[in-house]
Amino acid sequence: MLLILTVLAAALAAVVASRGRLHPLAGGAVGLAAASATTWTFAGCALGGDVTGDNTGVQRVLAVAAVVTVAAGVARTVAALRAGGGPAGEAMLTELRSGRFRTGAWLPWLLLAPTLAILAVFLYYPSFQTFALSTKLARMGAPRSADVCLGNFAELLVPSPYLVAGLPPAAVAVVAGLALWRSRTTPGTASHTAAAALSPLGPIATVVALYFVFAPGRTGYRGVYVATLGISFGIVALSMTAGLGLAYLVARRFRGASVYRTLLIWPYAVSPPVAGILFFMMFDPTAGVMAHLAGVVGLDFPSYRTDGVLAQAAIVLAASWKWVGHNILFYVAALQTVPREIVEAAAIDGAGAWRRFVRIVVPTIAPVTFFLLVTNLTYAFFDVYGTIDYLTRGGPSGRTTVAIYEIIRVGVGTGDLGRGAAQSVILFIAVIGLTVWQFRRSEGRITYGGGA
Amino acid sequence: MKNRALWATAAGTAAAALVLTGCTGSSEADTAGDGVVDVWVAFTDDARLGFVQEKAAEFEQKHEGVTVKVQGFDNYETLFQQMQLALDGGDAPEIVHYFEAATREALDAVGPDGEPVFQSVSAATGDRDEILGEPVVLDDVVAPAKNYYSVDGEFYSMPWNTSSTIMYGNQTMMDEAGIDAMPETWQDLEAACDKIAKLADGPEACITWPNHSWWMEQAMGQADTNLGNNDNGRSGRATEIDLDSDAMVDYLTWWQNLEKNGDYLYTGVQRDWDGTRAAFSAQQVAFLMSSSGDAAGIDEESADGGYDVVAGRMPYDADTPYGGNLIGGATLWLRSGLDEDTTDASLAFLNFFNNPENAAEWHKVSGYVPITNSAVDLLTEEGWFDENPNFKVASDQLALAADTPASTGVLMGNFVAIRDVITAAAEDILVQGDDVEERLHAADDEAQQLLDDYELLYSGE
Repeated sequence: MLLILTVLAAALAAVVASRGRLHPLAGGAVGLAAASATTWTFAGCALGGDVTGDNTGVQRVLAVAAVVTVAAGVARTVAALRAGGGPAGEAMLTELRSGRFRTGAWLPWLLLAPTLAILAVFLYYPSFQTFALSTKLARMGAPRSADVCLGNFAELLVPSPYLVAGLPPAAVAVVAGLALWRSRTTPGTASHTAAAALSPLGPIATVVALYFVFAPGRTGYRGVYVATLGISFGIVALSMTAGLGLAYLVARRFRGASVYRTLLIWPYAVSPPVAGILFFMMFDPTAGVMAHLAGVVGLDFPSYRTDGVLAQAAIVLAASWKWVGHNILFYVAALQTVPREIVEAAAIDGAGAWRRFVRIVVPTIAPVTFFLLVTNLTYAFFDVYGTIDYLTRGGPSGRTTVAIYEIIRVGVGTGDLGRGAAQSVILFIAVIGLTVWQFRRSEGRITYGGGA
Repeated sequence: MKNRALWATAAGTAAAALVLTGCTGSSEADTAGDGVVDVWVAFTDDARLGFVQEKAAEFEQKHEGVTVKVQGFDNYETLFQQMQLALDGGDAPEIVHYFEAATREALDAVGPDGEPVFQSVSAATGDRDEILGEPVVLDDVVAPAKNYYSVDGEFYSMPWNTSSTIMYGNQTMMDEAGIDAMPETWQDLEAACDKIAKLADGPEACITWPNHSWWMEQAMGQADTNLGNNDNGRSGRATEIDLDSDAMVDYLTWWQNLEKNGDYLYTGVQRDWDGTRAAFSAQQVAFLMSSSGDAAGIDEESADGGYDVVAGRMPYDADTPYGGNLIGGATLWLRSGLDEDTTDASLAFLNFFNNPENAAEWHKVSGYVPITNSAVDLLTEEGWFDENPNFKVASDQLALAADTPASTGVLMGNFVAIRDVITAAAEDILVQGDDVEERLHAADDEAQQLLDDYELLYSGE
């Protein structure tokens, strides 16, 4: 254990040191080395032959995929290193070196030490433990644990190595093919328009491929995948559009605007379980306010707790309501940065309110939208446990059991640490993947102003 | 410059390593005889936690120099986890309150030193008749509870809140529908539900109960069918689970049909004790199956709602020979590795806590079965059962059980997680209309995996 910790601490220190002192790309190289080490622990057992448990083929495929991914990353870093980092790397280096402490190297380290220690203890060490646990059969309080290699992961996937090996590359091929087609055609031609129109097929192919990769059936992970996708994107879409809409309305000057603003931001201060309880009080088919009101008018109020779609809608509504204040807060601030002259000029040129909103306001606040997209996704993935637990407890029939709910149910509720850790790793990869995708998608489309 | 970077790296590494190793060290276990008996209880409500605190104070007054510190936890699961953490941290309590499903895990629990966490109360008592002046009540404990918490003839823990599944009926509604007596069998219940459905201004549905694995376990007891091998885990460790037995298929098919006919109201949430009880007290259903431990609360709610409540047995299948219903609830475990004084103080408290007067009082406060025979006698003498016949149903029902492994209840590892598997299957069958046999087969596979995992980690096989 001590050895692992020392290696971890050394890697951490090396990353920080290299970022400050050496070439920025060296930091990336150290990071990749750490990734390779992690991959090695995963891949070693599966490729080495002592695979335990079922789905041996799937475990091998997973191991190969991990190795290939890391190899590709290493290759890319090496290529970048050979290219010398390019002007961007140099610029970054200059910027990093522009400020120097006169006392020498020890002062910045001293100042950084508390943060680093906290990060190491509360972030890097637990995440490393999670990776280690995900390859084990481990229970809270059990006298021993057993190595199961990638068995915890293989269990979540469809028990066919061909599907697991074939589907993700197929999705990648679709994405890459579409991108290639688009880049090889000249803008304005029919072919390019077609390629552009087809470009949403890439993400759709990925989503569909993942659907078929996860294990089917009532006891499989596919249900959790579908619920997570539906509820998370529902929350992000609703809370961001509602946030922008309300912020746009409330950002205008009128009497009592600040009171409205304060009231709108209020739900943000409510904790997720309390949001769950509030909506429970409203929508409960037996004791709820809405059921009572519907009864007064003579309507039959449907029970969200036995209808999967209604249950998901209730979760999306409750979770979005709780989070919309956060979005309003940022959008109100962002809307104040929209240059009034341009909006006025557009109005004089005859652009209608909607057109001004879509063509001027939305692009201007794009950086905030991007930031909110990331924070909203994080919220939707990680912070809805309390809301779900109070509203539906993951039911009916698992229709509102999202990834984080399942992780806590398995890992904490039943004390199955290994399976819980494996699911955490999957969620971790999903969030990293989504964030990278967002960064790439939004590259060049978002301007932060200033610069060139 | 390079040297400095190197030094900084080394210093950072050393500091981080130091911090991290500091965290992995463990402290000494708190087994010293400080005269304090820590009691951890999985209740937080005034009635039940308050009762324990009151008894602890009375005990302290009787026994000078002994302190009993009671701490409440939200539920059994939280308490179970806190206990695991406390064992690692070294400040685990002397007495801890575990639910019946965790009995195998309590027996298997080992501390960081590899020693069992709990000791048998009967072994710790030995052949003493009294401890610190408190008469020993272990032999007096009612048979169903004693059998449940005994393994290989060794009585391990002191049963406390013990209940059984009983059915409550809305007498007012039953009179209206012309139902003379509480239905005792599935068939009686179906007939009664037909009558309820014909009521002009009738309730939303005939009956409800929580989707909790306890009902499936009860149904297996009634049908005299084991859930686990090795005599339901009673003659050896249970290593095979049987969730798709004919008895289980019958029970879930019956339940599914009841739901399809609109007679059963599913609240849509698993383990929904509160929601089902709310439906009964709002008179949305005529019958409610719940724990006998709810009797006091349900009586109170009926008085507020202006209707009468009558209690009866959990209905069974008239076409299958009746085995027996089993207990549910929780028990008090005694920690091992305590010095003699602390052990005796803890044992004295356990026996004081369940002495006839206290056991009878606890029964009246809650409705849980009177846990000792002398408490039953005391209550009978007082005329309590004549005045409150609903409070007697659970004890009577338990007394009907043949002493078979099936009606004693299964003893199985990882059973808390397996219960989740069972309730999830029941929900799919009720809400999604899944094929009963197919769904139970899938649940059986999933539960078997959990059991195999557990056995691998705990018994190494």
